[in-house]
Amino acid sequence: MTLDAPRSVTPSMPAFATVAEQHLDDVYGYLLYLTKNWAVAEDLTSETFEAAFKKWRRFDPRRGTPRAWLLAIARTTALDWFRADSRRRRREERADAVEPSRESEGAFGEGLSPALEDGLRALTAGEREVVALRVVLDLDSEETARLLGITPTAVSTRLSRALAKLEERMRDHDVVA
Amino acid sequence: MTSSPELIHDLRASRPAAPTELRARIREISAQETTRAPWSGFRFPARRVGLIAIPAAAAMALASAGVLGITRSDVSPETYRAESLEDKATAESETGYGPLDTGANQAVPQAASPAGTASGGRNSAIGPALDRATLLSATLTVEVANADAVSRAAQEALDLTRRLGGHVVNASVATGEEGSAALTVRVPVGKVQEAIVGLSALGRIVSQQVTIQDLQASLDQLERREASIRNQIARIAARLETESLDAENRAVLETRVKTLRGELRGLRSGIAATNAEARMSTIQLTVVTPGAFGAVAPPARLDRTIDEALNVLVWEAVIALAILIVAAPFALAAFAAWLGRRFYRRREEERLLAA
Repeated sequence: MTLDAPRSVTPSMPAFATVAEQHLDDVYGYLLYLTKNWAVAEDLTSETFEAAFKKWRRFDPRRGTPRAWLLAIARTTALDWFRADSRRRRREERADAVEPSRESEGAFGEGLSPALEDGLRALTAGEREVVALRVVLDLDSEETARLLGITPTAVSTRLSRALAKLEERMRDHDVVA
Repeated sequence: MTSSPELIHDLRASRPAAPTELRARIREISAQETTRAPWSGFRFPARRVGLIAIPAAAAMALASAGVLGITRSDVSPETYRAESLEDKATAESETGYGPLDTGANQAVPQAASPAGTASGGRNSAIGPALDRATLLSATLTVEVANADAVSRAAQEALDLTRRLGGHVVNASVATGEEGSAALTVRVPVGKVQEAIVGLSALGRIVSQQVTIQDLQASLDQLERREASIRNQIARIAARLETESLDAENRAVLETRVKTLRGELRGLRSGIAATNAEARMSTIQLTVVTPGAFGAVAPPARLDRTIDEALNVLVWEAVIALAILIVAAPFALAAFAAWLGRRFYRRREEERLLAA
């Protein structure tokens, strides 16, 4: 499947449509891991690409790859959503009318074992984020560190902790099964 | 049991793919026509502007200093020297360290007049106060065209001195390739202004300094002492005439009168000397040829330019420093606010992602 004909902004820059086509799965996957909810991930992916489309003229290829740039916008969009969701939950808690969580609607990918799905769901958003970036999207440590605003060492630590937690959860799942 | 490599393999193998509807939605977004103005995406490149602006400001500061230095140095060396001397005199008077300033003394250095002819600058505004006893001395250096002119100027100076009722204390005239003359003359205090004007007209004034020392205070003191001694002598003389004194007391009083009369004579001669000193003024005149020893060489154009440019640079630095001092607290406050906001956002992100 291809998108519409590319529109170059400058001769050295790729067309936005090409970039969107190339990195749509990356952005969606990252947001799905972060939010644990496919519907929210889809909405946020749309928002991310809308924002990216508006800012595309400002993109400077010398300062990073289009994928890192899109993921940074996706992260900002997701954090805004987390903030809004947190405020909404607080309001609902005050009104004693908490809606059931939409978390169970998600599936992190086709073919994942239920144990792995459960394990991923048990991780925090920060832990799932680093798993998504380092493992699923295969970003290197430096690129991930820049995106998260932490040091590469902190990225490695967070990833090790997340994988260990994931393994533990899966071990528990195997024992129960 | 699952190990990390297997986990990683599983996670990568089941990488999420965007659903078809989402892909179509993104395609629609990408297909939108841009109707924005060309400048809508413009972002103010603060870092680049800074990288250009700082060297540009430094270059402008240097250039303006250079231009002002060249412009201001475009005056005759004499005018420049005159301004320099005025500045020096002002500085000396402000600091109280004038060349001959010793309490009651008044030193009035005056700059050379550019045209080398009689002008307002050569007539000293400071003159003797005729109602007070003052010691007035002047030092003049004039520049004449050549060695022959030195001799002529020296002769004219001597003639002028005599004409004004003065006398020569010493005179030294050297002829040769670079002739020079040094004269010390004394003229009546009432004619000193006339003498200075006349001597200044002998050539182009290189330097002029008039010093006035007040003698009235010491003269008054001498006169008070004289009156006191006269009174004492009169009292003792009255006692010697009216009282019947024994021989011993009479001898003591007569000795005392003798001593007082001796002191009185000394005082009278002191008062006379002071009055004589105050009646005449001393003028030291040096006549030089261009480039001779004693002539003040005007600074070269390049030196003047560098001096002026450095002055401008110093002022620019002072202004920049003042701006920096005023702006620094605001800049620090803004930086602290930025750090605080960043810290708060980071903590908030951690809290949100910890769920």
